[in-house]
Amino acid sequence: MGAHHLKTESRAAWVMVTPALLGLTLFLTLPFFLAVILSFTNLKLGSPLPVQFVGFDQFKRIFADPSFLRALANNAIFAVVVVPLQTVFALCLALVINRPLRGMTLFRTLFFMPVVFPFALIAVVWILIYAPGPNGMMNAALEVLSVGAWEARDFLHDPRSAFPAIMLMSIWQGVGFQMVIFLAGLQAIPSELYEAASVDGATKWRQFLHITLPQLRNTIIFVILVTTILAFRLFDQIQIMTHGGPNDATTTVIFEAVRSAFERQQVGRGAAMTTVFFLFVLFVTFLQRQIVKQEREIE
Amino acid sequence: MGSRDILRRAGRLTRYCVLSLVITSSLLGCDRDNTEPTQPASSVAELDVWVHSGQQSERDTIQNQVTRFNAAQRNVHVKLTVLPEGAYNAQVQAAALADDLPDLLEFDGPFLYNYVWQGHIRELDNLLPEPLKQDLLPSVIQQGTYNGKLYSVATFDSGLGLYGRRGDLQAVGVRIPTTPGEAWRIDEFERLLAALAKRDADGAVLDLKLNYSGEWYTYAFSPVIQSAGGDLIERTSFQRSDGSLNSSAAVEAMTRVQSWFQHKYIDPNLDDAAFTSGRVALSWGGHWDYNRYHAALGEELVVFPLPNFGLGSKTGQGSWNWGITTRSQHPQAAARFLTFLLRPEEVLRMADANGAVPATRSAIRRSHLYGEKGPLRLFVAQLENTAIARPQTPAYPVITSVFQQAFEDIRNGSNVRNALDKAAATIDQDIEDNEGYLVR
Amino acid sequence: MNIYRNVIAYLLLGAVSLIYIAPILFMFVGSFKPDENVLLEAGSWKAFFPESVSLQNFFDVFSRVNFSLFMFNSLFITLSIVALGLVVNGLAGYAFARLRWRGRNSIFALIIALMIIPFEAIAVPLFYQMTYLGWRDTYIVQIVPFIVNAFSIYLFYTFFIGLPKELEEAARIDGAGSMRTFFQIIVPNSKPVFATVAILTFLTHWGSFLWPLMVTSGEDVRPLPVAIAQFQTLPPLQWGDIMAFGVMLVAPILVIFLLFQGWFIRGVAATGIKG
Repeated sequence: MGAHHLKTESRAAWVMVTPALLGLTLFLTLPFFLAVILSFTNLKLGSPLPVQFVGFDQFKRIFADPSFLRALANNAIFAVVVVPLQTVFALCLALVINRPLRGMTLFRTLFFMPVVFPFALIAVVWILIYAPGPNGMMNAALEVLSVGAWEARDFLHDPRSAFPAIMLMSIWQGVGFQMVIFLAGLQAIPSELYEAASVDGATKWRQFLHITLPQLRNTIIFVILVTTILAFRLFDQIQIMTHGGPNDATTTVIFEAVRSAFERQQVGRGAAMTTVFFLFVLFVTFLQRQIVKQEREIE
Repeated sequence: MGSRDILRRAGRLTRYCVLSLVITSSLLGCDRDNTEPTQPASSVAELDVWVHSGQQSERDTIQNQVTRFNAAQRNVHVKLTVLPEGAYNAQVQAAALADDLPDLLEFDGPFLYNYVWQGHIRELDNLLPEPLKQDLLPSVIQQGTYNGKLYSVATFDSGLGLYGRRGDLQAVGVRIPTTPGEAWRIDEFERLLAALAKRDADGAVLDLKLNYSGEWYTYAFSPVIQSAGGDLIERTSFQRSDGSLNSSAAVEAMTRVQSWFQHKYIDPNLDDAAFTSGRVALSWGGHWDYNRYHAALGEELVVFPLPNFGLGSKTGQGSWNWGITTRSQHPQAAARFLTFLLRPEEVLRMADANGAVPATRSAIRRSHLYGEKGPLRLFVAQLENTAIARPQTPAYPVITSVFQQAFEDIRNGSNVRNALDKAAATIDQDIEDNEGYLVR
Repeated sequence: MNIYRNVIAYLLLGAVSLIYIAPILFMFVGSFKPDENVLLEAGSWKAFFPESVSLQNFFDVFSRVNFSLFMFNSLFITLSIVALGLVVNGLAGYAFARLRWRGRNSIFALIIALMIIPFEAIAVPLFYQMTYLGWRDTYIVQIVPFIVNAFSIYLFYTFFIGLPKELEEAARIDGAGSMRTFFQIIVPNSKPVFATVAILTFLTHWGSFLWPLMVTSGEDVRPLPVAIAQFQTLPPLQWGDIMAFGVMLVAPILVIFLLFQGWFIRGVAATGIKG
């Protein structure tokens, strides 16, 4: 193959990547830098006043704003509660469904189904499920389960129950996704490992601890990473079901950013919030990479 | 076929794809503007008009009005776009940034001042005939005037009050007020709530139309604060909310409202049927509820002014307004359409569709709801005496967004003083950030 | 012992299934009920077993809003992103995986780095950017920014890099250029990765809510998720109609999902290889 061929190949390559590079530049890199720049300005949509650079003022303000701090805390709480719960739940479901039994595909289909539903739809239906009073499905179900001891409540308007209600619904919607990733991970574990362990007389529980878990390690880390980032992207449910209320109990960073930038036209402030959000995602991803790297070094 | 040939072809294809993408995007992005240059060729003025979606009957009526207006003359052709109410102001702001505003824009009245400050709405003084302006209700003129100039008009105004079931009220033996001056004092009202609750199965006797959310909260519950002596903002220079919104009078009044939730007097009204299905005896509602309520209750339905929290019963006013944008090439044509909408028979048509108070005196006289003996005459009396316009300042979009949040918080049991302190501070910060919203 | 375990497995799955079936069945049943009964019966057995069945709610939806337009919008927008994305990202992935050219490795490293920027982090400036360009309220603004996707390029890359060398060599001896090799040799041999990327892209954008909420105003280009959120607040509040709207929104996608669920599941499983 001569230099001529390499030249045409290189030209072809540039033709192939140019549309992609163009798209990434215009719609990802540019707005990304714009976000950082805007967060140092006082830009307000539609304001006739001149735009000014205000240094770190926007950041100082959002970190002095109790609603934003509450939003950060809520995102953190969501991650701390939902990530382990959803991961363990998804792993349990995957382990059970992975058994060679009849009807398992049916269950897999059922648990995965909410993943293909738009969140907007799920949120609207769950508003009714959480309806206050004994008429609400959740209230009625809890009353039956508690043999009448449950006192009906207005889930989405009670500061104590609104966020847990959102969490429960989010787990319901999202667990199928993680379950499928775990299933793929389980199926990739060589069966010889289990056979050898059985010959050695290891119990199922020991096999789980010493084969399944270590083999799934990277899958688990990945699932935790994705769920953590998802936890910080929380928006659709909030916008439709609670609008951040009651009393900021369900507000989130993205909800606050959209409320600032879109409802109150404070683009600079909104950009500062999304910049904080990005720094967090960066941090979590970095953490995950470090853990995976350490693991590889040990091996 | 050589590889270079293919490459050349593929390169051409890619270039074509990119190019066509750019072209289609610019076409799609600008198609609104493209209608203008073609306009002089045919002498028909294309008029872009944006309205809020409203109730079904309202949408049908405006659609019908547009069709008839378009058919009746050949000079102006109205193109109607219906926008959802939920984020109406946000949509307008975004369109304004892209220079995409229509010729004639409908908007919720109190947003006018912000749009004027931004330079989007033009003066109407020389565009509308003088007799027509004379015919408008004073509350409509008040809403549409900013810095002494008229910028917007409305075809209807609004009414806010309490609806009640006659039977339930008679059963607890309460007096029935008929004018704003006779409104129940707040202690009287709270005794009534308690008495009604005693007879009620679940104790929830009052519907605050919590299913609406959004602008409703500001419209319906800032009169509570005003009746007690507070306000959303100090009304002489419109520079400070601190001291008004969080005054002790305001805190006390909102604490009372909060106590109604704590006593479980309030129906959450998730199905918007609390009043019509008979679950509650009282409904804090607007004129737009009348048709449905009347259909369900008939002669059982009574209307009263809101309770008096100290300084007399107050009520909200203002509804959707019309303004002509500064970017419109056809202000005369837009004014012509507005004049058409303000004819007494058209005003009545819309008023019949949404139950609103007709905006002109000539139409009110002919209205069976609001005329001399009409069942909703109270709302006309309120508009003439006890209605308070929402603050006439460009800060209004922020004021209302902040107040809505505060009301939600109060509803959900947070400390009233903290919620109102926080709201006032946010409003004052915004005014300061915008250098006082002074119109230059 | 084993039977004992299997019974437990089935019991567990059965219990979880109830939680999964209830909301979905509630919606389907609600769509056939008179409006006022939906909430009234949500707490009883009647939530799942209607006393009477009527299609009135479905007719109501069609008479109250332009449902077919919203459905078309959603399909058009999502399928455009998928189709254009397959071509653009596939080509890029191929160039990075199989062609030799200067700058390849550093540019690819950059693209990998871009993968970690979530859409939400750029939504505000992108909204400002698009609004400024006057792209608001079009199909373009809902399609073009999402065609190129760093993660899709990465998925294509990892698949193409694993293809045997012999595939291309035969084509090269024929004198085919890289572009023809890609479309005639590589694409037919890479159906799984195309299916995976197509499904992942579809799942990401079908339910898209935040972005269209910010950049659309009129009904002309409004997609279904925004339409249902707005329908829910459109007076008069009629829960039967809302449920009917939901059923029609989800029915087509549910059919597609049930027909091709193997691909959906493989597609999602493929995300797990990242990291």
